[in-house]
Amino acid sequence: MTAPSKPQTDVESAPTAVAPPPSWRRKATPYLLIAPALIYLAAFFAYPMVQGLILAVYDDEALLPLIAEPDITSAQTGKIPQGTAITILARQGNLLTEELSSDLLIEVWFQVEVAQADGSAVTGWTPESRVRIREESAEGDPLAGTIRTKLSSTADPLTDIYSEPNERSDVLAQVEPRSAARIVQTAELEVWFQVRAEDGTEGWTPSRFVQVFGDEETGRVDRGTAGEFTTRFIEKMREDRFFGSAWRTTLLLMALILPLQFILAIIMALVIHARLKFSSLFLYVFSVPMGMSDLAVGILFFSIFTGNGLLNSVLDGLGIIDSPQAFLTAESRNWIIFAIVLAEIWRATSIVMVIVVSGLQAIPDETLEAAELFGATYWQKVRHIMLPLLKPSLQVALILRTILAFQVFAVVIALGGGDVVTVLANETFRQYFALRNTNVASAYAVFILLLSIGSAVFYLRAVRTQAEMAAS
Amino acid sequence: MAIQNPPPPAWDSPEVSAQHEKMRAKGARGRIGTYVLAIGIALWIILPIFFLFSMAFTTQETVRSYPKNILPLVPFSTDTMQFFLQSDGVAEGLVNSIIVAVITLVLSTVIAAPAGYALSRFFFRGRDLFRLSILAVRAFPIVVLSIPLAVLFLRAGLFDSIFSLALMHTALALPTTILVVASVFASVPYELEEAGQVFGASPLRAFRYIVLPLVAPGIAASSVFTFVLSWNEVFAASVLTLENRTLPALVLTQLSQSSDAYQFAGGFFLMVPSLIFMFFIRKYLFNMWGQVSK
Repeated sequence: MTAPSKPQTDVESAPTAVAPPPSWRRKATPYLLIAPALIYLAAFFAYPMVQGLILAVYDDEALLPLIAEPDITSAQTGKIPQGTAITILARQGNLLTEELSSDLLIEVWFQVEVAQADGSAVTGWTPESRVRIREESAEGDPLAGTIRTKLSSTADPLTDIYSEPNERSDVLAQVEPRSAARIVQTAELEVWFQVRAEDGTEGWTPSRFVQVFGDEETGRVDRGTAGEFTTRFIEKMREDRFFGSAWRTTLLLMALILPLQFILAIIMALVIHARLKFSSLFLYVFSVPMGMSDLAVGILFFSIFTGNGLLNSVLDGLGIIDSPQAFLTAESRNWIIFAIVLAEIWRATSIVMVIVVSGLQAIPDETLEAAELFGATYWQKVRHIMLPLLKPSLQVALILRTILAFQVFAVVIALGGGDVVTVLANETFRQYFALRNTNVASAYAVFILLLSIGSAVFYLRAVRTQAEMAAS
Repeated sequence: MAIQNPPPPAWDSPEVSAQHEKMRAKGARGRIGTYVLAIGIALWIILPIFFLFSMAFTTQETVRSYPKNILPLVPFSTDTMQFFLQSDGVAEGLVNSIIVAVITLVLSTVIAAPAGYALSRFFFRGRDLFRLSILAVRAFPIVVLSIPLAVLFLRAGLFDSIFSLALMHTALALPTTILVVASVFASVPYELEEAGQVFGASPLRAFRYIVLPLVAPGIAASSVFTFVLSWNEVFAASVLTLENRTLPALVLTQLSQSSDAYQFAGGFFLMVPSLIFMFFIRKYLFNMWGQVSK
């Protein structure tokens, strides 16, 4: 369906058509140039994004598969959910199939060469507990020892030597207590349990997935290895005691901050646009907060509002108060919110101002001069020419600021500690950092994402319908 | 075609000059009002910074005292700042912050420059889609990205590494950098490059000797902004690191258990790059953020 003559008729592609390299190269060049950026954003943006969505609704440790034999290759007997109470029926050590750094429940077995009563030697495996070590290498590795005597009088006094490092393997020989044993090698084995679940499912599992209670016979499933989709994390988020307060405060802050911020930003932009003397210096001062972290600004306003801070000192100096007021304590929630609002207006108005100034610069001087010729006052110019022409800029700034407002974080921590006044980003952090609950943290993150997308769509729609109304 | 004479000037008519006089007076009054407004807003921004500055450079006793002297910087001392800089982990955090910011700056500039060039110089299928998705990605919540990245880095054994944090910061800075680089390239007419080629320079040579010197300041400004962005970033840094904290992440986690002196000096210290760098890049801010509305 592609017409070969189309590129020639496309006026916009004219610049690249001037010095024509081979056409396939010309076509491929832009794609090669954007490829690194695309790959990077796919790897560190799109992929984690999808992972985040999955984390919020998928529990990858939900189910523990049990297998028929203590052998990874054996058939699965069933899956039991995380948290299930279990009874331990048997235990056995198994060679570790992978390198695991965590503190596993392990058994140590020695491969020993033991002198038998008849003088011949047998080589086989026996648990560490059956050998008293008599000789160690310089590094502390056991080299030789003797077979221990069994303490219980009813037990078989002989010690079994197995063909493999587990008790289910063939018994090669039975040796006398106190026989000399040379230790050929040492094996660290992970303990496996044969368990019975509440629902009667029986099977083997590595001990790392279960938690054993003090009686050594019962326990529960600590985590599984198979996943399932679940709304559990979302429900947990909704039932979280901070959830309601977090989203309400986030919205309240937004409702208080954004209008004031936009009025101030437009005023600042008009001041910059008035091309005063030292305009460049004013631009520097006005835009400096833009490069500051929310944490630093939080601390800045903390230094003002704290008990022995600037505000109290000034009020005291003016004789308005006798003793320092507590602005930032658990009892003064409204003052904390007031301080956060001031801090956010102080910090984040610059970015709106820059966007508005850019919008103002795009308005042709002729338009304003024409208005002046017709006797428009400054206020009339602002009201009837600048503001309507600024609409697209304001829309972008509004979307940007709203999305950033959903993420307000460090300012809140610095001024309120994060308990009395809490916001969505802070709860995400709490779930992740303090409660170590990655999935619920992801649920919070997805909630913020949905709010952000929702508000962006809302703003875009609102402006479009206005445009459509104007067109009709 | 007959040229119509403009109406005779009436500068000397008394009504007009009276009108002009009025307007000029009004304009002058408006001008003074604008200056007052500008200075007022400037003070609203400067005074808090100056107060924190005076707290960062005084004795720790002064920081604790109440009521504070309304005259700041009395007594002047580097005591508070020294106390902060010598606190546990601050030196390491500072080094980490600088490493992360520099890696982010280099990586994002290297990846973004070709993409920005392509965006400004080529018309290709999918260009608008690419541009739009970058605009969308730029407004993306950091909070949303941090948690899954932490999980992925944990699985890959890259957790608590300043390098993985730099990878994350690069992802955050990349969209902005691409757009800025594109706007900087767009401000250099393609005709200049063309002229160079007409006079016999290879495309690469024309780029190196004609375009590069013209775009270098703009790209430098965007790099500086990337540095500041990484330096300031708190949330991702706190989520992705544990032992190898960057400075903001360290200060944030110390907030509840540190003295006012530590916090004030730390807060001011975190502001220093902004105070310095914004001065040099202020003119480029409009390049960076202006074009979002186009």
